[in-house]
Amino acid sequence: MAWLSFERRYRVRGGTIVGGDLFDFWVGPFYVGFFGVTTLFFTVIGVAMLLWGAVLGPTWNLWRINIAPPPIEYGLSFAPMKEGGIWQVVTICALGAFGSWAMRQAEISRKLGMGYHIPIAYSVAIFAYFSLVVIRPVLLGAWGYGFPYGIFSHLDWVSNTGYQYLHFHYNPAHMIAVSFFFTTTLALALHGGLILSAVNPQKGHAVKTAEFEDGFFRDHIGYSIGALGIHRLGLFLALSAGFWSAVCIIISGPFWTRGWPEWWSWWLSLPVWN
Amino acid sequence: MNLLFKAGGGLFALLLTAGTISAFKSTAVVQKGNAGLAMETIEDKANLPQRIKDNQLPPVIPYESKGDLAVDAYKNVQVLGHLTTGQMTGLMNAMALWVAPNDGGCAYCHAPLRDATGKVVKSADGTTQVDPNNLQSDELYAKRVARRMLEMTLRINGDWKQHVQGTGVTCYTCHRGNPVPKYIWFDQPESDPEGMLGYNANQNSPAAVAGVTSLPGDALQTFLETDENIRIQSTHAVDDGNRASIKQAEWTYALMIHMSNALGVNCTYCHNTRSMGEWSTSPATRAQAWYGIRMVRELNGQYLLPLARNGTLPANRLGSFGDGPKVNCATCHQRAYKPLLGQSLLGDYPMLAQAMPQPAKTVVAAASAAASATNEPPASPAEPVAVPPQASAVPAPSATPASSQPTHPAPSRSNPPRP
Amino acid sequence: MEYFNIFTQIQVSGPPDLGPPLKGNQFRVRATRMSTWIGWFASAQLGPIYLGYLGIASILFGFIAIEIIGLNMWASVGWSPVQFIRQLPWLALEPPPPSMGLHLPPLNQGGWWLMAGFFLTTSILLWWLRTYRRAKALGMGTHVAWAFAGAIWLYLVLGFIRPVLMGSWGEAVPFGIFPHLDWTAAFSIRYGNLFYNPFHALSIAFLYGSTLLFAMHGATVLALSHLGGEREVGQVIDRGTAAERGALFWRWTMGFNATFESIHRWAWWFAVLCPLTGGIGILLTGTAVDNWYLWAVKHNFAPQYAQVYTIDPDPALDPKLPGPPPASNIHVYTESPGKPAAPAPTEVKP
Repeated sequence: MAWLSFERRYRVRGGTIVGGDLFDFWVGPFYVGFFGVTTLFFTVIGVAMLLWGAVLGPTWNLWRINIAPPPIEYGLSFAPMKEGGIWQVVTICALGAFGSWAMRQAEISRKLGMGYHIPIAYSVAIFAYFSLVVIRPVLLGAWGYGFPYGIFSHLDWVSNTGYQYLHFHYNPAHMIAVSFFFTTTLALALHGGLILSAVNPQKGHAVKTAEFEDGFFRDHIGYSIGALGIHRLGLFLALSAGFWSAVCIIISGPFWTRGWPEWWSWWLSLPVWN
Repeated sequence: MNLLFKAGGGLFALLLTAGTISAFKSTAVVQKGNAGLAMETIEDKANLPQRIKDNQLPPVIPYESKGDLAVDAYKNVQVLGHLTTGQMTGLMNAMALWVAPNDGGCAYCHAPLRDATGKVVKSADGTTQVDPNNLQSDELYAKRVARRMLEMTLRINGDWKQHVQGTGVTCYTCHRGNPVPKYIWFDQPESDPEGMLGYNANQNSPAAVAGVTSLPGDALQTFLETDENIRIQSTHAVDDGNRASIKQAEWTYALMIHMSNALGVNCTYCHNTRSMGEWSTSPATRAQAWYGIRMVRELNGQYLLPLARNGTLPANRLGSFGDGPKVNCATCHQRAYKPLLGQSLLGDYPMLAQAMPQPAKTVVAAASAAASATNEPPASPAEPVAVPPQASAVPAPSATPASSQPTHPAPSRSNPPRP
Repeated sequence: MEYFNIFTQIQVSGPPDLGPPLKGNQFRVRATRMSTWIGWFASAQLGPIYLGYLGIASILFGFIAIEIIGLNMWASVGWSPVQFIRQLPWLALEPPPPSMGLHLPPLNQGGWWLMAGFFLTTSILLWWLRTYRRAKALGMGTHVAWAFAGAIWLYLVLGFIRPVLMGSWGEAVPFGIFPHLDWTAAFSIRYGNLFYNPFHALSIAFLYGSTLLFAMHGATVLALSHLGGEREVGQVIDRGTAAERGALFWRWTMGFNATFESIHRWAWWFAVLCPLTGGIGILLTGTAVDNWYLWAVKHNFAPQYAQVYTIDPDPALDPKLPGPPPASNIHVYTESPGKPAAPAPTEVKP
């Protein structure tokens, strides 16, 4: 079977949140659990809907398949399937699947005696998706503001939504989010590199200890954040990137309708320099 | 400490809820493209009443269409000689209202009444009186400018229908009750690289004309005064031979931001931004804007800049570089997708729809010919008809074509404008 | 509610750790300071720092670059301190105009930009060398330096390699907060929408992927920190229950897992591939491909949409422009034939 060498002693019953022993088993390496069942349920329906949407569309080219949301005229109501209803069902299934996935992560964490950091972190990502397809459309009054499901078509949505504000780079929350994304990548490169450089030392050297991890960064930049600190920092940077991304798109439209560069006028007209 | 966190959290939740509720459905939208393509204009509903207020048509002072030809009845009529005296009176009243209602009305352009010493006569409330026997005088520069402006208006309405269609423009479209239109522009200072430091290539400072970005602030000079090429995208995927630089793209981008702000729209109003250059995915508004740019270039080059160059405009009407005032998209549109939200005054003033060849003075019998050769006052009264402005409840976009006859009914105000 | 180990509950203080033995120990500046504030979140110790010749040179060159940039920005607002701060986000040091090609431009038409670029590049390369040597000096692998090289690749592509291939310094990025964002948008507009550049797409995938990975890895380690999960090197060479639970968590969740070492390889590659593929995407733009949207159409991956709005063909192909404006009717007015233009009337109406 697909077991790791040490796995046996960890495969115990218990830790489930819902369902007790009913779904407390594994299929291959996968843990099922009640939420595994719901994940599977939503995923199958959602993917089936996507396939149906592709059938209705003009192409099977993976890059060009496009499942569009309803036109704005339908407001917040359910649209006919062929006019955005499929998109709506896929969205419901996606949220169901993502939520189930987070709950499954919580069950597995419980079973393994771990903290809940992983499902909480994942929930921030779900929040970002939720803000794009639910929060912002509801605030604007129509499901049609959600992004289409298509590999390159969703980028057309990003482009047009961005240019609705003339120059989206000037969105201050977008600036913060982008900075967090790049900083996360930088920090990940540094952390990955540091651990690897300690575990794969120069020829003839023994594996380096934590003193060397700290020592390298103190020599390098005068500060070492430490083994615990880097993981706190990494989690914080990554979640901030997701959070500020959600903020930057929620404010675009419901809270600001002009070009984003114009927002900076408040700075230029501060009384202190006028 | 815990309590502080809880209180702060509660306050945050409260503010979030309040903000969310206030934002809910507070916007209106125009969707242009396919579902999910996000070619939309989202507006804050709170802005709409002001937009309607800013774009109300002025009242129409009714006038008669009968009378002799202006070329016979008046002196020094060079552009409007084909009008009847009634039409002339009506148009002049309108121009006073459209251009200078708070700056002297007729006296903004027509010579003032002077007493025996040559001092200007003012009435009891301090307004300057017009000399009704000297309406033909060109002594005030504004009258000479207005004459050229009339030619410009007739040119726009008659020959630039590709852009203005049947709606057309009148003096009010730009002036809106101001002798100097609010949205004109002058040349920007060029970056001066004569010093050792500080070269900024006419960009890299907050440019109001480019929507407060750091994009080039002289984009209007570049594109609306000359025939400079605006297009920068290649029309082939590879091997295009297109040598346009990124900096040129910044100039075009600055112009586009100006156009967006001038019309109160965004890029998706004319483009599917997945491919800005592609015409097969651009809405028809883009072609109309193309003609608009060409029209603005002609207005600046043929009508406005010559007024500065030939000395018609006094120094206080010129820019800091001695350049004349110029128009851009905002001059007419004034942050509306169509000027005055698409309402037309041409239905009430069809004489502005097209230039007409100027008739020669009517040759009549010897007696009246002798009379009209002297400086006698004209037969029909030249004073403006004082009629209180109509209370207009709902302005109407009446877009009657230019070919309508001089006689016209009272203005109809049936269709409310689309805000 | 469990303890999430986001903040340190009890800070332990002791003598500062002055680092592992080093042959160049004399270059270590032993000034250290403990910061309790930082200590709630991360390691409280600030310092020591190794200040060798490479580091000092790098800082010097970097400082010069910053001064060139800052002073030029200040000059562009007429040396006004108020306007400097007010307009700072908009200010920039601009590359030369494209007409200069690759020639050395006059100082105040891009020459300062070129000089600042030279000093900044030198500073960065010197710093890279420092990163490499510090690792070598401690007998460690040079993975951090090679990750840094990925970022330097992107920097060099943007500011040096691509401008040289395009034959124009003017193609490079200006030094300035908003102006470099204008450059980014203009770059995408000029080249037909960079979303359709496959390397751009890959780079974004690695950017978001890195964020996803660090969230996953950071959360995993924190969730196992009560079992010493953050002591990663130890877990690598002597797998403890933290490593085992971490691996099993992901195996049970998504069917496969990494080890405590290999997760750092995933991390390293995702993070480094972001600038690596991004640099390739920039390099191919304008050199190999002129319009990425049209390239996508050519290679069959641009989506098609039904036509739902009116479209007009390109007017430039068949412009329906009016002819030249008619000759003006305006002439200089004279009172009557033969008399010159009258100033004011001599009559006065009662």
